[in-house]
Amino acid sequence: MRGPSAAQRGDRPDLLTALIFVGFGALGLFLARPLDGGTLAQMGPGFMPRVICGLLILVGLAVGLPALRRPLVRIEPVKIRPVVVILLSIVGFGLAVTYLGFVLASLWLILAGAMADPGGKMRQTLLLAAGLTAFGALIFVYGLGVQVPLWPF
Amino acid sequence: MSFIDLLILGFSEAMTPMNLGFCLLGALLGTLIGVLPGIGPTATIAVLLPITFFLPPLAGIIMLAGIYYGAQYGGSTTAILVNLPGEASSVVTALDGYQMAQNGRAGSALAIAALGSFFAGTVATLALAVAGPTLSVFALKFGPAEYVSLMVFGLLAATILASGPVLKAIGMILIGLLLGMIGTDRATGDARLTFGAIELFDGIDFIVIAIGLFGFSEIIANLEGSGSEGVKLAKLTRLWPTRQDFREAWPAVLRGTGLGTVLGLLPGGGATLASFSAYSMEKRMSRHPEQFGTGVVAGVAAPESANNAAAQSSFIPLLTLGIPSNNMMAMMLSAFMIHGITPGPTVLTSQPEIFWGLVASMWIGNLLLVVINLPLIGIWVKLLTVPYRLLYPAILLFCCIGVYSMNNRVFDVVLAAGFGLLGYLFRKAKCEPGPLLLGFVLGPLLEANLRRTLLITQGDPSIFVERPISLTMLVATVILLGLMILPSFRKTREEAFQEEDA
Repeated sequence: MRGPSAAQRGDRPDLLTALIFVGFGALGLFLARPLDGGTLAQMGPGFMPRVICGLLILVGLAVGLPALRRPLVRIEPVKIRPVVVILLSIVGFGLAVTYLGFVLASLWLILAGAMADPGGKMRQTLLLAAGLTAFGALIFVYGLGVQVPLWPF
Repeated sequence: MSFIDLLILGFSEAMTPMNLGFCLLGALLGTLIGVLPGIGPTATIAVLLPITFFLPPLAGIIMLAGIYYGAQYGGSTTAILVNLPGEASSVVTALDGYQMAQNGRAGSALAIAALGSFFAGTVATLALAVAGPTLSVFALKFGPAEYVSLMVFGLLAATILASGPVLKAIGMILIGLLLGMIGTDRATGDARLTFGAIELFDGIDFIVIAIGLFGFSEIIANLEGSGSEGVKLAKLTRLWPTRQDFREAWPAVLRGTGLGTVLGLLPGGGATLASFSAYSMEKRMSRHPEQFGTGVVAGVAAPESANNAAAQSSFIPLLTLGIPSNNMMAMMLSAFMIHGITPGPTVLTSQPEIFWGLVASMWIGNLLLVVINLPLIGIWVKLLTVPYRLLYPAILLFCCIGVYSMNNRVFDVVLAAGFGLLGYLFRKAKCEPGPLLLGFVLGPLLEANLRRTLLITQGDPSIFVERPISLTMLVATVILLGLMILPSFRKTREEAFQEEDA
């Protein structure tokens, strides 16, 4: 009889869950160090965060420990392209809208964001970017009065 | 004021051209995103939340509510015509609805779904109108101790009734509670868990989290698994159901409506749970359960009525107790909060036009939806051919403007992108982010009430078991926890959700 080797064990999504939970709990406990716990009658700012973080770590362990012994379940494969492209285009939008105005920021967001999907056609994307930017400027800046400059100058 | 007077007040509020316009807009948007796979009502409402800030309170809430129940109508259209459920709540509708379409009965399936939904919406709206004032009188007796117990019960029950592993859901709630504590402590004024960042002193905005977790991470996940281009449509035939269809449908509609209304009330309940339960109940009660899945009218009528009834009755706990029962209601709560209104028993007496206007608009909205969906079905179906590649840049833009426009800060946009990444991690870890929102919204309330209770009793926790309402809630919580440990209950629960995963 040959048991499955160590490498074939572990429910990876559950282990990731445990990592997230314990990580959040530990981070919370770390940040709550300077906060006063107080007493039950006069709870300080640190009371609830400590309780919650403690529970979070417990739940994390309860999810993670049994998952170690379960048969291997892999995490769905990660496609790095959409993650990176979308996140960068969002952050870029945030910076651009402050310093360069809405029009350039919106064009950036859509043109950069479109790179996340390799199937797009150039002409279509450009038209989409122009149309959405005009629409956004009309609805949000003129219509709803969002306080943002349209142009960098 | 009598019941009739209040209803008249509600209708006069809901019938103003502006409110009527936003009701129609909400219903249209709801149908639109219901039809489009890949955009759910949660993400849409998250995107539109910041916009409601620019509207009068009632108009904004009417629109958001319209999106939620409108999505229930729209979702069934695609489920029936292309076997592609637009929403999680119409997954079961696809089982029999698509088969009916294959048998050339697409028209009657759509009509049954729409008419059943309308009937269910009417009943649930009436339930809201009747239960609202009654429950809120009851809720006025609640002290802080009762609220603490109610919230603990609500949060725990929400994890058990929602799909997915309970422990993960509890963990997600705890993360939500923790995130809700970031910022200045209301009682002492100390900055908590802020990493020293001034931007976090006011806490994290609900919209940042909602758009990050639902808007951004949904786009990323959809792009990862892309391939929703080109769908084959079933041919649309005569729209009016036969008399035989009606005869088979109406008992199922009645049962679905009843079940949906009740399940919508429960914490964690809502449209999805209701439609799954209604379908399995219908199957169990049928004399020919083996025919389900081959195009049975009841298999469309029951879940469609149930999801619409539940979508509307889930407003009851929010509007009467101020406690949201699912993530959609957490969004609604923050839509109220944006305007400085705290939903709960006092709103009914101090601002009756809000409650009754919303109730009346729901009924009007349902009527509008029947019109929007049945004669205009052809237009919605055409939208299905729009590829996601053209849709997501628009969603991305709305999300970004929405987040930015709250405080005009780059910080919020970057933070939302961070939550987008976190949401992506949650997906990889197979964690459902809904409970997090619930925890985030209820966290500050829970802490404030817990502190108040223990301050009153000088730190003596026995008050929670001495007050009868509080004791009942806690006993119910303990029973729920006990049930979760029982292996037989766990098995039934897993079975109940198995169809959902399929």
